Amino acid sequence: MMKAAVFRGIGQVEVVEVPLPEPPGPGQVLIRVGYCGICGSDLEAYHTGMYEPGLIIGHEFAGTIFDTGPGVTGWQLGERVVVNDAIPCGACAPCRLGRPQACESLTMIGVTHDGALAEYLTVPAGGLHHLPDEVSLRQGALVEPLAVVLEAVRRSRLQLGDRVLVMGAGPIGLLAVQCALLAGARQVVATEVDPVRAALAGRLGAAAVLDPERENVAVALSRLTGGQGPDIVYICTGAPEPFLDSISLVRKGGQIYVLGLCVEPVPADFMSVVFNDLCIEGSLAGPSQFPAAIDLLAQGRLDVEALVSHEITLDEVVTGGFGRLVTPGSGAVKILVRIGGER
Amino acid sequence: MKLATLAYLEEAKARSNTDEEYLELAKGNNESYTLVLDPEPDKGVPEQIVIGFDNLDGKMNDFWLGQRPTLFTLTGPYGVWVDILRGKMGATKAITMRKLKTQGPFLQLLQGANRIIRWVEVLRTIPTEFEGEYAQYDLPGE
Repeated sequence: MMKAAVFRGIGQVEVVEVPLPEPPGPGQVLIRVGYCGICGSDLEAYHTGMYEPGLIIGHEFAGTIFDTGPGVTGWQLGERVVVNDAIPCGACAPCRLGRPQACESLTMIGVTHDGALAEYLTVPAGGLHHLPDEVSLRQGALVEPLAVVLEAVRRSRLQLGDRVLVMGAGPIGLLAVQCALLAGARQVVATEVDPVRAALAGRLGAAAVLDPERENVAVALSRLTGGQGPDIVYICTGAPEPFLDSISLVRKGGQIYVLGLCVEPVPADFMSVVFNDLCIEGSLAGPSQFPAAIDLLAQGRLDVEALVSHEITLDEVVTGGFGRLVTPGSGAVKILVRIGGER
Repeated sequence: MKLATLAYLEEAKARSNTDEEYLELAKGNNESYTLVLDPEPDKGVPEQIVIGFDNLDGKMNDFWLGQRPTLFTLTGPYGVWVDILRGKMGATKAITMRKLKTQGPFLQLLQGANRIIRWVEVLRTIPTEFEGEYAQYDLPGE
């Protein structure tokens, strides 16, 4: 038996003993989980029940290879790895067109299949990525969200010298601030209501952080951008207001890139989209960005440690993890769960 | 009085809160607004002007200079606001044609079109001085 965090329904996650995974089958690998993060989408599921009850959650993780199944070559027991949580079919039209994240039969570890808030899990060997010595297992657990942001920034129209607005300075937004700057943005402004996250955004390079509950974002942004508005808005929050606001905040001819999951329908001013020649795009995952994410971390080009507000154990997932994340003012940003630990 | 000053807003409040036609249209309205008059230095309007106000059951309640978070923010060049007050451009047309950039729930704003049109008619009765080159269009008031 092993410990795992199991999703039971809206507002219900519990840590229980579950059977160990079956020995890995052909092409599979058994992973001993080192660290796993609690993601914003896990929190969304906690609020809305969008996962199936009984699912072991957790899809941002790093660990070591504990066993390999028949036919698996090129991987060593004990090797440190991160695992691509998105498993495309490889055969559908989007997969063949090089858009695996849009796979028609996409499955996701910790979302559609049992995940990594557990001591062990079995994964396809095809999703493994070696973790170099320069990147710790703790940092490795942040490769997945970084890959999500890299996918967005690389696919967006961001050009050297652009002005950027990042709406929401949670873990994804904080990575977006850093990646936009790394990609050549001359100015990144963030919006955030939580003071801890706002301060962090400033520390990580945001030229200004606006609190929409305290100041008029449209006026402040107009001043910061010389009346033009930002070239690109990255929406990194699930709150509905920024989705509507982004259309009037971005400059004419600009782009809105959606990374946040807003489960409720948002009324949108599409007439402005037409009049202002806007582009709206979104993406769910970044399966092809894992190598770049790992390299950037190994080179020390991004600070992911700054995002980690709390490190907890698996036994603490309910109160120290989800409980903390749903409590306003708790100071939680990224909560990492130490499972197998080690480096 | 000069456009978009506290004295102007005080007068706007006094006139709109006693205009029966406006009050009938505005009944139940509790929205807040920021109006941004963008500078046009080449026309003698060097600085951005930001004003705001809120409504309480249709009556203009508080008003202020500078920015605060509000439900709506309408932004446009100083000259567009002058054109609206002169009657050269309809306020709702300015909104729908994006001459005024709108932040806030757009459809909700347009649902109040008749109220906005009447409010502008009320504002037009205020003796108003404009800045820079726009001074030639000062409104005599009624």
